[in-house]
Amino acid sequence: MLLLITLLVFVLLHAAPGDPAAMLLGQENTAADLAEARRRWGLDQPILVQYLKFVRTAATGDLGKSFRFSAPVKEVIKERLPATVELAFFSIVIAILLAIPLGVWAGSRPNSWLDNLGTSFGLFGISMPNFWLGIMLILILAGTFHVLPSGGRSTYGVAGPAQTGFYFLDSLLQGNWKAFNDAFLHVLMPALALGANMVGILMRVTRSSVLEAASEEYVVTARAKGLDNRSVLWRHVFTNALIPIVTVVGLELGTLLSGSIIVETVFAWPGVGSLLITGVTSRDYPLVTGVVLMYTVAFVAINLVIDGLYAAIDPRIRY
Amino acid sequence: MSWRKLVVVALLALTVAGVKSRSAAAESRVSIGVTETMETFNPYGDSVSLLYGIWCQVMGCLGTYDFNKAEYVGMLAEKWEVKDPNNWIFHLRKDIKWHDGSPFTADDVVHSFNRARNDPQSKQTQNIAPIASASAIDKYTVRFTTKQPTAPLPEYIFDRLIITNHALYEKYGADTADRKYPIGAGPYKFKELIPGQRFVIAKNPDYPGMKKMTQAPDEIVYRVMREDEQRVTALLNGEIQIAQFIPPHLKQRVESDPNAKATTVDAVEIMFLAMQPKPPFDKKEVRQAVCHAIDRDRIIKTLLQGLATRLDGPIGPGQYGYDANLKPKYDYNPEKSKKLLAQAGFPNGVDVELQTPVGRYTLDKQINEAITQMLNGAGFRAKLATPEWATLWSNVQAGKVPFYYMGRGSIVDPSVALSQYFETGGSPRIGYSNPKLDNLLATERQTFEPAKRKKVLSEAMSVITDDAPACFMWRHKMIYGMAKQIDYKPTPSGRIFGEDIRVLK
Repeated sequence: MLLLITLLVFVLLHAAPGDPAAMLLGQENTAADLAEARRRWGLDQPILVQYLKFVRTAATGDLGKSFRFSAPVKEVIKERLPATVELAFFSIVIAILLAIPLGVWAGSRPNSWLDNLGTSFGLFGISMPNFWLGIMLILILAGTFHVLPSGGRSTYGVAGPAQTGFYFLDSLLQGNWKAFNDAFLHVLMPALALGANMVGILMRVTRSSVLEAASEEYVVTARAKGLDNRSVLWRHVFTNALIPIVTVVGLELGTLLSGSIIVETVFAWPGVGSLLITGVTSRDYPLVTGVVLMYTVAFVAINLVIDGLYAAIDPRIRY
Repeated sequence: MSWRKLVVVALLALTVAGVKSRSAAAESRVSIGVTETMETFNPYGDSVSLLYGIWCQVMGCLGTYDFNKAEYVGMLAEKWEVKDPNNWIFHLRKDIKWHDGSPFTADDVVHSFNRARNDPQSKQTQNIAPIASASAIDKYTVRFTTKQPTAPLPEYIFDRLIITNHALYEKYGADTADRKYPIGAGPYKFKELIPGQRFVIAKNPDYPGMKKMTQAPDEIVYRVMREDEQRVTALLNGEIQIAQFIPPHLKQRVESDPNAKATTVDAVEIMFLAMQPKPPFDKKEVRQAVCHAIDRDRIIKTLLQGLATRLDGPIGPGQYGYDANLKPKYDYNPEKSKKLLAQAGFPNGVDVELQTPVGRYTLDKQINEAITQMLNGAGFRAKLATPEWATLWSNVQAGKVPFYYMGRGSIVDPSVALSQYFETGGSPRIGYSNPKLDNLLATERQTFEPAKRKKVLSEAMSVITDDAPACFMWRHKMIYGMAKQIDYKPTPSGRIFGEDIRVLK
C-alpha cells in the first residue's frame, strides 16, 4: 500500500504544473541556473527513473534530500513531528474533556435544555471552519483580551535547550515550570481551533450512543437493582457506549492530522502540517512525498491502536 | 476543590500568565514578525530578501546599498575599484575579525564565491553569474574577474554574496560548520535558528563601531508569522515590536493603538503588466492601448488607499538611473486605446486573457479585476485568470503566459532586471527582442562612468516605455507596524538591519 501511495503522490506531483527550480532559485535566476539546479536535483531524468531511485533509497529508510531545506527529508520531518504530535494530543484531550461529559449529559436527558444546549454546541463545532475559528480566537483572546500569545510554539528565551523536541516533556525533564506554562499558553488556541470540529462530532456520537445504550435491558435491570443514576450512567451505559466513541476518536485523529495543515499555518505552528504547505508551494517533491508517506504510516498505526483498544474495552472482542 | 473553583483558578492563572508574558519583553530585545520562512542553516541554501539581510549581519557581506546616501557602501569591503572592464578589485577592511577571534581575509571571500557557485544546496548561483573567477591578490585584497564587462556588479553581489569562514568549512565540512559553528564576521552574532519558527541574532560588540550604537537592539528575534492578522495582533499584544508588510486594510488598526505606529516606504519592487510579442500583442499599438486603458491613479487612490507610487517608466525615485523626465508617459485615455486598437486592425475589439497571482502581491486579485473592467471599457474583451502561484510563476519563466501582472523585486540598479525581462535572450519571461535596446543595454554594462551610464540607462528605459512590452504600474508602499518605543526607517529593499533600529528608552 505504501508503494502505491508513493507512486500516486509522485505522479500527481509531477503532473501538477510548477517547477521546483523556478520556485526556489529567486527571481534573478537565469536559464543556466535553472538547468543546473534541475540537474543537481535529478529532475532532468525521466520521471520513471526518478521514481525508481526514490523507491530504492526509501527502502533503505532514506527519503531523499529536501530541495527547499537543503537537508534530509527524514531529519526535517523528525524536527517538526513533535510540534504536530503535541498539538494533536492537546486537541484530543480538549475534545474528549469537553465532548464526552457534554454528550453523556445530553444523552441521559434527551430533549432537555441541557441536551439542546449541548447539541447546539456540537453543531457549532462541526460547522465552524477551523481556520476561521483560529483567526477569531487570535483576534479575541490575543488581540482584545491579551491573555494568550497570538501564535508560535514558545517564547524565545523561556525554554531550555531542546532535548526531545516535545516542549512539554522537555520542560518537565528540566523541571522548568515557566517553560511548561509558556508551552501550555501557546498550544491552547491552536488546540481549541483544531479540536472544535472533533468536539462537535464526538459530542453527537456520544449522545446517540448513550441514548441507544440507555434503552437496553441491562440498564433497566441495573435500575431495578436499585443502583443510583450516576452509577447506571457511567458504569453501565457509558461503558457500553464506548465502542462507537473510540471508533470516532480514531477516525477523527486522521482528520485532525489533515486539519493541522491549516491550523498550523494560521498559528505559525512549526509542525508537519505547515511543512507540507511549504513543500507543496515550493514543489519540493521529496519533502511532499516524505510527509504524505509519514501521514499514511500514522493513519495505519492509529487504526491498529484503535483495533487494539476495542479488545480492551469490550471483553467479547478477541483477535 | 470543586471543579468550578478549579476552572476559575485556572482562568485566573491563565490571565495573569498571559499578561505577564505580555510585559516580559526584554529592554533591548526586538522581535520582528516576518513573512518569509527560514528553513536552513546553510547561508547559501535560500534566496529570499529577508535571509540575505540576516546572513549579511551574521556572516557578513562586502557591501550594501545605502538608500539615504543613494550609493553603495562597504561592509566587509572598505573600497573597490574597476581595474579594467573585466577586473574588479575589492579592498577588505583590516579591522574585522571572525566572531571566534580569527582574522577575516581575502581567502574567505574567495571561498565564499566558490561555495555560492559549487555548494550542491546553493540557490544563489544567479548572484555570481557574471563572475568568471575570484582570486586573492593578498591577505586583504580580492579580484573578481567577470565574463563580460559588468558595470552593475555591486547589484549582483552586494548584500547577496554571503561571506563565510573558510577555515571552519575545511575543518568540519559544510553541514557541521553551518549547523554547529555558525561563526560570522558581521555586526551581529548567530544565537539560535529554529527552522520555521525563529532566527535570533545578538549584537557583536567587537564589530567596529558597534559599541557606539547603544540604541541598536542587543538581540533581534525574527519570528515567522505568515498571516497578516497574526502579525498585527502580535504587535498590538506586545509580543513583537516590529510587524513587517501590513496590508493596507489593517493599517488603521495599528494606528489606532496608542502603543503602536505605522510607517511606510516605497518598495524597490516594480509592478507591471507584461505582454509577450505574440498576437495580438505583437503589435505595438495593442500594447500601448493596454497602457492607456488603465487608470493607475484611480486604482492607487481607491483600492490601494494611496499606498503606492505610480511608475512612469520601469523604475521610480531612489532607484539607480531614475529619470523624472523619461518619455513617453501614458495617461488614462480609453478613447486613445480604442483608436490604437483600430489602427492595429482590431476596430471591433480583441480577446485577451490576463493572468494574475492571488495573494502574492497586495490586493493583486482585486486590482486585476479592476484592470479587466478598464480594459473592457477601452475596446478589449478581457478575461481574468487566477492560476495558483507555483503554476503561474513556472509558466511565466517558461515563457508560456502571454499577458500577466507581476512584480520584480530587488531593483536598486535596474540593469539586471531590464536585461532579464527585455533583452534578447535575457529570459523567456516576455520573449521581447529589440536590437536597439540590446545595443543600449550592452553599452550601459560597459560604461563605468556613472553619469554616462545613467544617460544610457535612461535612453534604454525610454525605448522600453515607448515600445511597451510591459506597462509599468506602481511601486507599493510597504507598511511596517512598530511599537512606539522603536525608531526604525524600513529599507525599500526589505532587508532589516539591526544597526538601523533604535530602541528608545
